[in-house]
Amino acid sequence: MAGKSGRSINNVPEAPLKKMILSWEGILVVLLVLVNIFCAFYSEFYNLSSLLRQMPIYLAEVFLLLPMAYILVLGEIDISVGSIVCLTATMSCIVCNTGAPFIVVILTALAVGAVCGAVNGFILTRFTELPPMIVTLATQIIFRGIAEVVLGSGGSISATNTEGLILLTGKVGQVPYILFLLVVLAVIFAVVLGKSTFGRRVYAIGTNRLTAHYSGVHVQKIRFIIYTVMGVCSGICGLFLLSSSFGANTTTGKGFEMDAIAMAVFGGISSTGGKGNLAGGIISAFIIVCLRVGLGQRNVHAQVILLILGVLLICAVALPNIIGQARRAVKR
Amino acid sequence: MKEKSLLKKITGSREALLVVILILLFAIVTALSPSFLTPKSLMEVLKNNSVTIIMALGMLCVMLVGGIDISIMSTAALSGMTIGMLLKYEKISNTLLAFVIAIAIGTLCGALIGLIISRADVPPIIATMGFMYIYRAMAYLVSNGGEWAGAATLGNYKDFANKSFLGVNSILWIMIVCYLFFFIFMKWTRTGRKIYAVGSNPNAAEVSGINVKNIKLLVYTMMGFLAGLGGAVHVAVYASAMPDLQQGGEMNVIAACVIGGVSMSGGRGTVLGALLGALILATITRALPLVGVSALWQNMIKGVLILVVVVVNVILQRIADNNALKGREM
Amino acid sequence: MSDYILELKGITKIFPGVKALNNVQFQLKPGEVHALMGENGAGKSTFIKVITGVHKAEEGEMFLEGKKVDFKGPRDAQAAGIAAVYQHPTSYPHLTVAENIFMGHEIVKRGMLQWKTMNEEANKLLQQLNADFDSTAEMGTLSVAQQQMVEIAKALSTNAKIIILDEPTAALTKRESEELYRIVDKLKEEGVSIIFISHRFEDMYRLASRVTVFRDSQYIGTYDVNGITNADLIKAMVGREITELFPKPEVKIGKEMLRVENFSRTGYFRNVSFEVHAGEIVGLTGLVGAGRTEVVEAVCGITKPDSGKVYLEGQEIHIHTPSEAMDKGIILLPEDRQKEGLIMSWGLGRNVTLPTISKYAKSGFDNEKKERELSKELLEEVDTKAVDIFQPASSLSGGNQQKVVVAKALSQEMKVVIMDEPTKGVDVGAKAEIYAIMGDLAQKGYAIILISSEMPEILGMADRIIVMCNGRKTGELSREEATQEGILELAMEKGKNAGKEAR
Repeated sequence: MAGKSGRSINNVPEAPLKKMILSWEGILVVLLVLVNIFCAFYSEFYNLSSLLRQMPIYLAEVFLLLPMAYILVLGEIDISVGSIVCLTATMSCIVCNTGAPFIVVILTALAVGAVCGAVNGFILTRFTELPPMIVTLATQIIFRGIAEVVLGSGGSISATNTEGLILLTGKVGQVPYILFLLVVLAVIFAVVLGKSTFGRRVYAIGTNRLTAHYSGVHVQKIRFIIYTVMGVCSGICGLFLLSSSFGANTTTGKGFEMDAIAMAVFGGISSTGGKGNLAGGIISAFIIVCLRVGLGQRNVHAQVILLILGVLLICAVALPNIIGQARRAVKR
Repeated sequence: MKEKSLLKKITGSREALLVVILILLFAIVTALSPSFLTPKSLMEVLKNNSVTIIMALGMLCVMLVGGIDISIMSTAALSGMTIGMLLKYEKISNTLLAFVIAIAIGTLCGALIGLIISRADVPPIIATMGFMYIYRAMAYLVSNGGEWAGAATLGNYKDFANKSFLGVNSILWIMIVCYLFFFIFMKWTRTGRKIYAVGSNPNAAEVSGINVKNIKLLVYTMMGFLAGLGGAVHVAVYASAMPDLQQGGEMNVIAACVIGGVSMSGGRGTVLGALLGALILATITRALPLVGVSALWQNMIKGVLILVVVVVNVILQRIADNNALKGREM
Repeated sequence: MSDYILELKGITKIFPGVKALNNVQFQLKPGEVHALMGENGAGKSTFIKVITGVHKAEEGEMFLEGKKVDFKGPRDAQAAGIAAVYQHPTSYPHLTVAENIFMGHEIVKRGMLQWKTMNEEANKLLQQLNADFDSTAEMGTLSVAQQQMVEIAKALSTNAKIIILDEPTAALTKRESEELYRIVDKLKEEGVSIIFISHRFEDMYRLASRVTVFRDSQYIGTYDVNGITNADLIKAMVGREITELFPKPEVKIGKEMLRVENFSRTGYFRNVSFEVHAGEIVGLTGLVGAGRTEVVEAVCGITKPDSGKVYLEGQEIHIHTPSEAMDKGIILLPEDRQKEGLIMSWGLGRNVTLPTISKYAKSGFDNEKKERELSKELLEEVDTKAVDIFQPASSLSGGNQQKVVVAKALSQEMKVVIMDEPTKGVDVGAKAEIYAIMGDLAQKGYAIILISSEMPEILGMADRIIVMCNGRKTGELSREEATQEGILELAMEKGKNAGKEAR
């Protein structure tokens, strides 16, 4: 090619180990260890087996974190997931009570979730001018509204046919099924986001939507898929909630969307899009779960744990910005 | 040209459209259930939705600068719970003092949020989510771990909501004063217009010398003020204070603003629109059981309404854009 | 003491890596209309921003009515009576016209805004300008021409003594331009001094008494409009023998690659037809807003045309998405590198491979090693001045960013390459390299469409030139018959024969 100077451009990446230790994920791992040490000192009952025993109730909402991370990387938000959880739990409980085979119950949960997610995706890809916040605010009210109508004046439903549900709460040795499933899904979601072409495109959309479009990325298709998967995972969450509480009511899953977003953001996934990875999100989810179990053992109220969570969340986002500003000010 | 001006009228006078909808709603509901259009019933509607109606003003300002605040009901709970406990344990007994304390707490809470958002560049949804947890938990801590302050313990305070001045209910007075103030503030003062300017084009605002950061701090502080007031009003209207009061109510406030034509991306929205949006929501809530639809359907209808409003908006805008393109000379 | 209301001496403005203005001078007489001309990237816009206090010059002095001034920001300039009307109005779309006019200097009595007075004052100003809209109209609903009028009214409301108009006619129709001329005449009568930036010779002849020319960030000269011929002026603006700078290789033109027939999209372009052959460079030119970019974006599936057909190598094709166009070998290098071409915060390597990652991925997962090798190879092929493939695209200069865009295109199977303003904001040295790459591509047998507003570039590189005006193709010239004047005439077709059907 003309004017070629024979300049060589380096393409060998830095040693990954050094990068890992200094990263936010590195800090989170340290924090996870510290939280566990703290819990072990704080509560005499806190050990691996009690952790594994008490963990499942807190794990259900971590399923929401996985696709929520994708949505945040897109630079968007979905606040309807708590309501989807409620609706799927309600619907699958009704199906369960008819005495249908348990596989049908599972499929109901997944299908209801998928449909709800697809509704979000459809509206958002059809009317791209609308901010996701407002659309999912509306569907948040609608999905829970449907559940309220279905649940009727009592506002709750109990599972009468609990055989299958009990199955879901089973264990292998001391490890509950839910943890297995969560770990498997987490690995899949993390690898797809971090290593696959799909994940790369998600980051491209979240960083510069226009360039992604010009580069041949199917922006709307990818958004639709992600919102639908968000619905499916809400279905999984709803199913496990049903299995642990043997019923559903109008407040099932309330506020879960915020918890999922908080875990992701605390894990270093920026709500403005294009930054962070699922490893951080998953570690932060486990920090929160361990904290809940540990503090819960000494009957610390859930509200106090939320207080800690809120402070951590704001610090995690605000401190880097403040430090950055201070540095720039000093440079000047 | 004629077509264009007609479209402009439709999209331009959002408030007129909302008034028509509200009147239609009233007409339908009254026809089906005459008991709706009585002063007592209407007062009930206003009182039950007073918290939403008052806070819609603050949310209007926050959304005008392109922000959002989902912590408001936690702020309300903290301030409401605080005065509830103070009254219960007889630290104070004066109603006015209770209001002042609630408002002071709310304003402080709002100012802290504003500082975090404007100075540390935390996205509003994340910052207010964090404070939603924090303030709610503080409300719980203030309540000594979940105590209620029931009607019996609130002394004179609980009578406030039933008192009248000059023949008008005191809660209604609060709403009127708030709306009058904001109507004047947003339309007739420089600061009010600066809020609009920042939301409409932040870069231009910066260039023309508006302190964007301070405007943001201001709107969240005002939101906090109104949330504190809302907390006090809630305790008065329902004659009880509990740490989980109004949980999830922030979505009602946002919904009221959206129905009232406040844009989520900033710059567009009026005080009148926010009021009408809140009133339409309140009317629907009240009307459903009256016209024989189960109250269970309330939320679903509310959600569909929001969705329809925003989608119709987009479609109207597309038609307007398309017409503009067709009119282009080639 | 001074004859001039505004005088600038020895202005030098440096941006990272580029000297945007080099020892530039300028004088404005009271009550005159002074045209400022030059090619794209000559430094006109930067110069305006120095005058209005948006940019601060590294060197040089500025005198206002003989007194030295030093603006700290745009507000200082405004206070000193200087107002600028930009090509893309910088307004508040949600607010009313009156508010836009009075933003920052509202009429206030006892802390209350005086809407009635402001609306009346605004209407008075608008009447002066013969505006056909009311001061209570919402800014966002106005056309660009009307918004410009509001900006002029805003300038008047601050009692500006100097008004700068930055390419005001670029987006206007003939009738709207006439209206603007009338306004400028009126302002001149009232003693306002005006600096007028334009590409159109028509504007200059109609309005200005003197003209100052910039070229390559330097001051070339100031001339009396009556005393300079068109040819001399163009020479001053372009300043070099055009054909020599462009390494246009002799390429045998092959078979037809892409043919577009009767392409239309409401409001953007109508009935556009053209074809391009293997090894051929077709220049697509016209004034800003003529619809050139919109046509090729529709060809590439970025937007949807309303009607028309596209043929690739004689076969009709239907393209609905950008990726379909890429699969078929129609590659677009978009106009705006930073917003459409690159992801600025990403490393160079990832930018290069974005369109093609799935091609060498193993069952959906990246083959990072291969990706790194490929991007290194491609970046070296276009001779990008970069240290490694991980550095963010934002760390490169404009010219090198453009090379990354080229490398990104090279990663794909190409048949037709469409380059939209490839040298915009690129310094002279890097320009030559991009032309060389373009020549190479033509030699390799690709069909090339070059969209450019820069006359020399079009004349120097293109085998055939298609001119568009107001959404229509107004003419086609071969390399031999093309001249600056010929192209300009076609590009302003509409302006000269308003209402007539284009030929």
